[in-house]
Parts: sequence; structure tokens; C-alpha cells
Amino acid sequence: VVVEDQPDVSAVLSAYNQQGDPTLYEEYYSGLKNFIECSLDCHRAELSQLFYPLFVHMYLELVYNQHESEAKSFFERFHGDQECYYQDDLRVLSSLTKKEHMKGNETMLDFRTSKFVLRISRDSYQLLKRHLQEKQNNQIWNIVQEHLYIDIFDGMPRSKQQIDAMVGSLAGEAKREANKAKVFFGLLKEPEFDVPLDDEDEEGENEEGKPKKKKPKKDSVGSKSKKQDPNAPPQNRIPLPELKDSDKLDKVMNMKEAARQCLPSICFYTFLNAYQGLTAVDITDDSSMIVGGFADSTVRVWSVTPKKLRSVKTAADLSLIDKESDDVLERIMDEKTASELKILYGHSGPVYGTSFSPDRNYLLSCSEDGTVRLWSLQTFTCLVGYKGHNYPVWDTQFSPYGYYFVSGGHDRVARLWATDHYQPLRIFAGHLADVTCTRFHPNSNYIATGSADRTVRLWDVLNGNCVRIFTGHKGPIHSLAFSPNGRFLATGATDGRVLLWDIGHGLMVGELKGHTDTIYALRFSRDGEILASGSMDNTVRLWDAVKAFEDLETDDFTTATGHINLPENSQDLLLGTYMTKSTPVVHLHFTRRNLLLAAGAYSSQ
Amino acid sequence: YVTTILEDAKIYSSHAKKSSVDADDVRLAIQCRTDQSFTSPPPRDVSKTSAGGNGAWGRAAGSDLTVSLQFLLDIARQKNQTPLPLIKPYSGPRLPPDRYCLTAPNYRLKSLQKKVSSSAGRITVPRLSVGAVSSRPSTPTLGTPSAQTVAVSTKVGTPVSLTGQRFTVQIPSSQAAVKAATPTTPTVQNVLINPSLIGPKNILITTNMVSSQNTSNESNSLKRKHDDDDDYDNL
Repeated sequence: VVVEDQPDVSAVLSAYNQQGDPTLYEEYYSGLKNFIECSLDCHRAELSQLFYPLFVHMYLELVYNQHESEAKSFFERFHGDQECYYQDDLRVLSSLTKKEHMKGNETMLDFRTSKFVLRISRDSYQLLKRHLQEKQNNQIWNIVQEHLYIDIFDGMPRSKQQIDAMVGSLAGEAKREANKAKVFFGLLKEPEFDVPLDDEDEEGENEEGKPKKKKPKKDSVGSKSKKQDPNAPPQNRIPLPELKDSDKLDKVMNMKEAARQCLPSICFYTFLNAYQGLTAVDITDDSSMIVGGFADSTVRVWSVTPKKLRSVKTAADLSLIDKESDDVLERIMDEKTASELKILYGHSGPVYGTSFSPDRNYLLSCSEDGTVRLWSLQTFTCLVGYKGHNYPVWDTQFSPYGYYFVSGGHDRVARLWATDHYQPLRIFAGHLADVTCTRFHPNSNYIATGSADRTVRLWDVLNGNCVRIFTGHKGPIHSLAFSPNGRFLATGATDGRVLLWDIGHGLMVGELKGHTDTIYALRFSRDGEILASGSMDNTVRLWDAVKAFEDLETDDFTTATGHINLPENSQDLLLGTYMTKSTPVVHLHFTRRNLLLAAGAYSSQ
Repeated sequence: YVTTILEDAKIYSSHAKKSSVDADDVRLAIQCRTDQSFTSPPPRDVSKTSAGGNGAWGRAAGSDLTVSLQFLLDIARQKNQTPLPLIKPYSGPRLPPDRYCLTAPNYRLKSLQKKVSSSAGRITVPRLSVGAVSSRPSTPTLGTPSAQTVAVSTKVGTPVSLTGQRFTVQIPSSQAAVKAATPTTPTVQNVLINPSLIGPKNILITTNMVSSQNTSNESNSLKRKHDDDDDYDNL
């Protein structure tokens, strides 16, 4: 074995020092295959999970040890046996024929060094162990020990269906401990206001008496529910910006508008003449502005209401105005600059993510040039460029309280920033492949990231720990949505499925099948009753979220073993499918009056 | 491509004081070039949550890993240890220090040797020797021989009325006066506005300028020329 110049890579790759006889690899593998196929039905499904990681590791060993022809014949003989959802990976693997190829491929390297997690029941595991130790050649047993982590649980072996629901990610499944940490999924207390309507009910779920947390009463005076929601984080767990007067006014407006319950309809904003250049869309919370990020590196902001976009006057003129007048906010705007559209130039690559700040003063955009830019929506100029990712940044989002924002990119990490720090505050590292989607939890204490390694992780903002790992998608995840009550997460990926997760227990609780192409937009309605999904197949589908989340099986057994039983109720949950002519849906937004806005660019094919 | 590589290899071999270009030099040249042109994301660490005991030698290999592979997770660990900074209330637009913002003007003002264009009042500046920077709320009036520049970029988050800082540039009415009063030569051509010296309220401060907030100047807008002459001498 030649020692390479780069000691780090060679150390990693020397994981393949095992010199089994290359010509016998095929025999070992087919021997195992026969054994598994002849085993009892109840064990077969679980043991079949071994095929994929073993196949990949054996193939890579052959490649590393430069037995090209054996590797090729091994691949050709067995790659068809693998599950269909691994075919994309196998295609990548088929191009790795030489040792040098392996060095360049980060994702494959990470696959090698991290352990592929398998969850197998004790009985099946005993069976496997006995068989492998009996055989003369221990090659496979070595690989199992080096590269696989077998999370054993006591109980019934899982059925093929249950397993299929949970596998698919590049790292196998999630270990039980990975989903054990306590997550504060409750919402932060909203300050009280004098609104001439009924006050909203506070989120007051109390489960079996859990220790109450201390909570400084910031704004609420004489709040209705005296008890602290045990599932909610303490108000001061992470520093949050104070509520300005303008924010309070916003909230009053919000409550007034939300009080009138109307049935949802869908209003679609189609971007014409975008020539496949529309890459990101966002709409402000009060639905007054819409922003589009484009492949020509511009960011365009439109006003959706009759009120035009104006920029602030220059300093010269500002000094002239009467600062004491009531409409000073109007006067600072320069009428001459009023227009429906503002174009922001600054990025040097396609803009892949955009996000409005909750107070509508700032706009974020992230791009392939590796920067995240903060724009002022009062002067329509760029204020800051945050450089940290040196690779394309795929998504960014402001925190629901402003001030913080998260970005995720090709360098496989997500970063938490604050607008007044030029370096990130937190780095969330752990994904094996690009981070394609990043979202804040409504209480701003957690961040969900979806990645091209087909897992969704939930991170704690306070200390950067990964508190949940959700596996089950069979393709890169492109959309995430938290339910308004903070308890559930919906995720959509290129496999066309929407998966629903219970954050508190860390389990998959639902699967919505129906879309036939990548799901790029997911949004819960403001009351949490409807989940809307928009996809590349040119449709918007509405799902009944209330029904999807009722009667959840979340007892200890399920948590321990991951035995989920997903009902095949996608059809029942589907409330409607709305087709556009040929416009893939890129963004969804529920207005305060329960109107669903959707956005996409018309594509003529 | 080949030429570039061979040239680089030549440089390396001559650096190593070899008589001719070696295969190693070429290899080194190729490696350096690819490092420059094709970078890849920093590699992730070996998973540290793997169950202990499995594959003892595998773990041993893991511990041999050099810094570059550990890089990402270590940095993350380090960054994540520092507590989140507290947020000061009522601090206006929350932006990083101006050095890191893009709010500075990215232009320099070129001097016109002879005269001042005073039409719109917000135009460029002839040489700046010593100028008094005064804050005046009034817009520049036409006809004053002293041109003013508006060199502010507005930064708004809250509706605060900004008073722009303006430079008053005095054309030296007499060369002699200037030479006596100023340390800089009258042949200063350009005004270099150094963006790094922009303070928080968009006050452009250059090293040879004095910023003064003389409100008493407000009443003397039209007669400033003479007053400023006096100011110069005093400075």
C-alpha cells in the first residue's frame, strides 16, 4: 500500500488496509446474500438492511486496493439487488473506479469515516452474529465491526414496510440516543395587548407534572394562564431583541386581522419572463411585499399592495422635515423614488434564498457566491455582506423575532448569525452532504436543517447541539415547515413525499403521498389546521393537518424501537389538488386572513 | 495548462537548487495548481459518537487524523461554546462595525484644479486643504463660492432625522493665505476619503479635517466665506 503525501486522507483511506483476497469478495457477498434470503421471514427484512452498506464498503475497499477489474465485476453483479431508493448513490459510486477518484469525493469520504447506523432487533442480530462468526472468512464481520453501528433493540423485528419508511439516508438511521434530548417545542409567551377583541388563548398544554421553569415576566401583566408551559423554553434562554413600539403595533394589526376566520382560497403569483431564472421567493408576514431571487444574481422586490415602494430621502432632505409631525414616517419617504419594483444588485451569483425580516426593514439574500447579504428596505441598498461559507449558500431565513438568521450551504454546515456580528455565532456541523434548507422553530430556540444526505436535523441554538435526527426521506430535502404550535415538523424532498414528525418524541407520525416531483414549498396555515404543499409537478395540495396529528401512537415502546405504524391515509388527508398550467410552485404563504398565496415562475415546457 | 505547470515546476526546481526539472517538481506544481483552482469543502471529522470498542484499529487510525479533518467539528465546538451575546435594547439598526458593512461610499472625489462648480450644491470638491466641517441643517444655497459635498450614505432603521455632515471646502482665495495656514501643499489633487474612518453617524473624518459642530455658523450661511477664512487662520 502506497503511503500518500496527505496523512489525513491516507489515514482515512487506510481504513481499507484489510487485504482480503479480492477475488473472493463476490463469494463473501453472495454467501451472505444466500444466508439472509434463507433466514426466517421475520428476520429477513431487518437483515436486508445490511446489503447496501456492505455492498458500498466492499466495493470501495476493492477500489482503494486498486483491484479495478474485481471491483467492476463486483459492482455489476450486485448493484441491481439494492433497493431502488439507493440508485442515485450507486450511480455516483459507479463513477468511482480508481483510488484517486475517492480522494476528491467528500461525501463518500464522510460515508466511509462515519458509521452507518442500523437498527436491528436482538434476535436478528444474534442470528447474524452467529452465522458470521461461524464462517471461516471473517471479512464481512470485519467490515460490520469497522463501519456499521448496530443499534440493538429488544422487541419484535420490524417489517419491511416499517423499515422502508425510516431508511434512505446516507448515514443509515438515527441512533436512539440521538433523539433523546429534551426539546422545548412550546411557544414563547406573547405579551398582552389591549385589543378590543377576545384575547387569543395562551398555549397552555400541561402534561404530567413536570418541573416548572423560572421565567421572568417581561411584558405580560396579569397574564391569563398562570402556569408556564413545561414544553416551552424559558423566555431568556436565548437573548432576543426587545419588542419595539413598531413591533407592538404590528402584533395588534396581526391580531385584528386574524380574528376574522375565512375559508382558504389560493392566489397565485406567477413570475412571467423569468426564463427559468427564478430561484427563490419570499413574502412578508403581512403580505405586502414579495421578493424574488434570480439566477442573474439580482434580487427584485415588488409591492403587492397599491402602496408603492419608496426609499428614504437623502440626508439633505431629511434635515428639512418636521420631526414632530405625526406622519413623520410618511414624510421621510421620498416620493420621487416611488415604484412598484426595486432591483437590488450586489451578488455575483444566482440568489438561492431570500428572507424578509419580521419588522420589514431588512431583507436577506444568499447566493452561490458564498455570501449572505443584508439589504435595507428603506434605502434599497446593501448594508452588509456576511462572508463565512466559502461555497454556495443554499438557504437562509430570519428568526421569527428578527435579529438572528440562519444560513446553510454546500460546505455541509449551517451557521447562525446575528445582524450585528460579522462572524457566525453558531456553527451546526454534522451533516454528511450539503445543507439545502434551514428553518427556525417558532420559538426561535431551535433550527431545523434539511440536507442532501437525506436527513433532517434539529439543532439547539443555545449550544449548537444536534437534538434530533430524522431519517426516512429518499432524496435531498428541499422544504421544511414547523407547525404553528411548535410541536410538529413537516418535510418535503425530491422523492415527492411529505413526512410529518413529532418533535417531542422524535418520531415519524405521518406520510403524505401524492406529489410526483420535488416539493419545494410547505406551509402550515396560521391556525395549524391545513398543511399546504407546492411542488415541481405544478400543483398545490392541501392536507388536513388536524386529522393527521390526532390519535398519535407515542408510547414508550414506539419511541424505543422505532416501530412506527403509518396508516395509509394520504388520500383521506388530501383536501384538494390545485393545478397550475405549467408553473412549478416555489413558495407558499398564508396571509393573516387565511388566504393562501403561492408563487412560481411560468415555464413554457 | 501544460506550460503553466512546467513553468511552476521550473521555479520549484530552481528554488531547490536542482540542475534540472524533476518529476517531483512537476508533481508539486500540479498539486499546488489544483489546490488553487479546485477547492473542496472542508472534510468532516470522523464521527465521534460511534460506539467505542468496535474496530480498535479503526479508532487508532482515527486518532492519527491530522488537523484538517477535525477542522470543521472543532471549529464548530469552539464557536458553540461561547454563550450567545446579550442584545442591547434600543440600539437602533443592529449592524456590524462599519468596517464590515458596505455602507461606506465607494467613490473618491477627484479634484478640479481651478474652479468650483456650485450649481446644485452637492457636487465635488476642489482641493481640500483644511476644511471646517460644520453641521448645518440648511441645504446649500446657490451662489456660495464654497461648494459642499454631501458625502453621506444614509443608514436608516428607525425614523431618526439625520443631519448630514458636510465638508465645506474653501478655495483658497489667496495662495498666500493657504500656504501660511495649512500644512498641506496647495497641489493636493485628490481628496481621499478613507472609508475606514467613517464614524457611526456617517461623519466623514479625515486626518486633516476638523469636525466642528458650530451651531453658530448656522446663521452665517451666506457670509461664510469670510468667516471661514478666519477659521482657517485660527486653525
